[in-house]
Amino acid sequence: MGRYVGRRIGASLVTCLLGSVLVFLVVRLVPGDVVAQMLGQTSDETAARALRGYFGLDQPAWRQYAGWLGRVLQGDFGTSWVRGQPVAAMVAQAFLLTAEIALLTLAIALAVGVPLGMLAGMHEGRWPDALVQGFNALGLAAPVFWVGLMLLVTVSSVAGWSPPMIYATPRASLADHVQILALPVLALALLQAAACSQFVRQNVVSAFRQDYVRTALAKGVPLRGVFYRHILRNVLIPLITFVGLLFIQILGGVVIVESLFALPGLGRLLLAAIETRDYPVLQGGLLVVMACALLVNLAIDLLYRVIDPRVPLR
Amino acid sequence: MTGSNVNAATPGSIVDRPPRFARPTRAGRRRSLAAIAAIACIGLFAGPALRQASAADAAAPLYGPLATDAVRGGVLTFGSLVEPPGLDPYHQGADARIRFTVLMYQGLFYEAADGRALPMLATGHTVSADGLTYTVAIRPGVRFHTGATMTAKDVAYSYNYLRDPKNGSPGASDLSLITAIEATDDATLRIVLSRPFTALPMTLGNKYGGVVPAGYFDGADAKAKLNTASVGTGPFKLVEFKPNSHLELARHADYWESGAPYLDGIRATFVPNSASLVVALRNKRVDLALLVRPQDIAQVDKVAGLQVKRWPSLNQKALDFGAETKPLDDVRVRQAIALAIDRAEIQQASVGAYGRPIHTMVAGMQDAWGADPKALAHQAVDLDAARALLKSAGLEQGVELTLTTINGYEWMDPAAVTLKQQLARIGVNLKIQRVDLGVWIQNFRAKQMGFTFNDWATQPDPDLLFYRHFRKAPAGADFRNWNDERASELLDAARSEADPVKRKALYVDFQKQLAQTVPTVMLFSADLVTVAGDAVRNNELHPSGWYYGLVRTWLKR
Repeated sequence: MGRYVGRRIGASLVTCLLGSVLVFLVVRLVPGDVVAQMLGQTSDETAARALRGYFGLDQPAWRQYAGWLGRVLQGDFGTSWVRGQPVAAMVAQAFLLTAEIALLTLAIALAVGVPLGMLAGMHEGRWPDALVQGFNALGLAAPVFWVGLMLLVTVSSVAGWSPPMIYATPRASLADHVQILALPVLALALLQAAACSQFVRQNVVSAFRQDYVRTALAKGVPLRGVFYRHILRNVLIPLITFVGLLFIQILGGVVIVESLFALPGLGRLLLAAIETRDYPVLQGGLLVVMACALLVNLAIDLLYRVIDPRVPLR
Repeated sequence: MTGSNVNAATPGSIVDRPPRFARPTRAGRRRSLAAIAAIACIGLFAGPALRQASAADAAAPLYGPLATDAVRGGVLTFGSLVEPPGLDPYHQGADARIRFTVLMYQGLFYEAADGRALPMLATGHTVSADGLTYTVAIRPGVRFHTGATMTAKDVAYSYNYLRDPKNGSPGASDLSLITAIEATDDATLRIVLSRPFTALPMTLGNKYGGVVPAGYFDGADAKAKLNTASVGTGPFKLVEFKPNSHLELARHADYWESGAPYLDGIRATFVPNSASLVVALRNKRVDLALLVRPQDIAQVDKVAGLQVKRWPSLNQKALDFGAETKPLDDVRVRQAIALAIDRAEIQQASVGAYGRPIHTMVAGMQDAWGADPKALAHQAVDLDAARALLKSAGLEQGVELTLTTINGYEWMDPAAVTLKQQLARIGVNLKIQRVDLGVWIQNFRAKQMGFTFNDWATQPDPDLLFYRHFRKAPAGADFRNWNDERASELLDAARSEADPVKRKALYVDFQKQLAQTVPTVMLFSADLVTVAGDAVRNNELHPSGWYYGLVRTWLKR
């Protein structure tokens, strides 16, 4: 097991390295740089040269990359060119909020989606299935910005309430924190619950058609016993894969609710960094996203083994 | 200047006449009269005779009108759709930065809405007979946010840092005529120019730089630290700047203006979409905000407890012609396009009634500096004349042009579609391409702009509006490759002219040349629209859109 984990971590590091090269090159292929953004319509080439020198943009690309990588390996992600703040702190703060939103969303999506999916799967073709499928169809079709906006406008119109405008950490004000996160998490969770429910339903329906389930039922094993012993266990492994993918998807897609609800999360940070060509923030932030995705994948693979010891570690 | 309630405008009347602003208050009328009188005096700053700042200058209110009934205290929550990329007033040129940093940093002069440069950290100045040497008296008793007392040495250091192109400030080129700045003692500054420059006081304002302690930039990470601690002399100092979240300012306890500012602090929250900002305004989560889109303004227009006001601006939405692109190098093609454009229709499509069609001057400066539109060529729609011009240019079969618009500038999309329809009437087939702002700026600075919409603003002086954009290189940038000898001569002459009447005449001639040979078509100035809760008092918006008015705002809770 230890050897396997070590091998996977090594492979993840190589992936991160290759990914960082790709990110480094791609962000520089986009026309316009931070100096153009800062100087605006001014024409002074001397000032532009001075700023390029300050940011190291006058160096060859390979030297810029080597310098950045060298500092990252020493734990220094540099300073934001635009904000002037340490990238590590900026990314860490933003990532914590985004991860909190993602985890809360996931928890609600699972708490709602799994039971709904099971209910629909067990009653395939009957009215509970139709109801759940209707919910799923709506949830899968509605874009998150629309759901978020509708929630915000409806709550505002009906209750005359909207969340506080300035994000507060739980330590600063737990009440504000809960109020601020309530609507964005709800908007995301409604959609992800639908996806989760649809996935579980399909797997339950498919498991019901397996020979071993039919055999167990024919032998007179009660439905509840068949469900918990055979169906649920077999649904669990694909569900874990699905949850992992869902988590990564939420991390990537949270930028929309962050923008809608003015949350200072990772998505919004990266979006602003793209707009202002703030390469250190962009590279640092994307490295964290990559590392997070790889870690989640590794955790899923290890969980397979825990759930089903027959799964080989390759 | 006074704002007007949005309801005062007649919807739909924009095509026939400019939107009317509400009848000014008595105080507003007094200020307007003072402004008119002051405009007549513009130029005296650089007059050939030695001159001290007048009593009127000394009495004129900085930032906006003083409140007689103000209650001190309270923190104002300000909702902003734009976020400053950074708070470094020396190296960050974004307008979103300037809007906020003018509250923390101060220059020698203040860009009054009426076009005067009022003494701010200066108390007055004299100009030598040849117009080349300015002697500036520095305001005593000014303290930095660091607690240190400001002297002329700090002022000299700050402006010398700003004007040195090697320090990478976008404001350096504005000060290129300065050959020396030195403190002759703690209270006096001497500025030497290579040529007379009438707009110098306006240039020593608050757009770039601001006075900081001498030697500030010698410190490690000095530029970056400006995002965590302000070191200016302004009425507010920085408490916290949290990217993608908020900016918090607190009253500068040692601020030099007695009794100002009225607010204890300002909390600006950055809301990246207008729907959320509208909801927050309706639910009193924010006290004050600027809205841009007509559909957003309509949602708060009639809400009880919210005051919607519109203010004229120094902004212009323009159509630029890069003469490096064929067939735009042919003046007849540019003239033909100008003759096919209906400005009012484009404005209506873009911002509804919240703007004013313009000709060769931004709305906020038309009265003081604008030419009479009737005296300008190619202003009224004349399709026959336009077709004749295209025919004489050999394009009677029509021509295809590509118009560049910028992602994120919402007004440009409906404007582009409207322009496409208008130009189709003279046989110009318009293709529309949208580019990222970074790409657009790069092309602009490389003088490869082609045929494009532009959205820019100015400080309230015609030199700062026109010179860099339209003067031939190397003195100017001539971004549009206009290369017009006559226009450059007029700009040079106006820059050195101290007599306000002669100066205006030169700028009127320049505008006639601009209209005649069409390097650009100024389309309209969008109004600035503020939405404030009932508690917000005495808030005015400067035509630049910078938040100077917050220094005079108070809250009645």
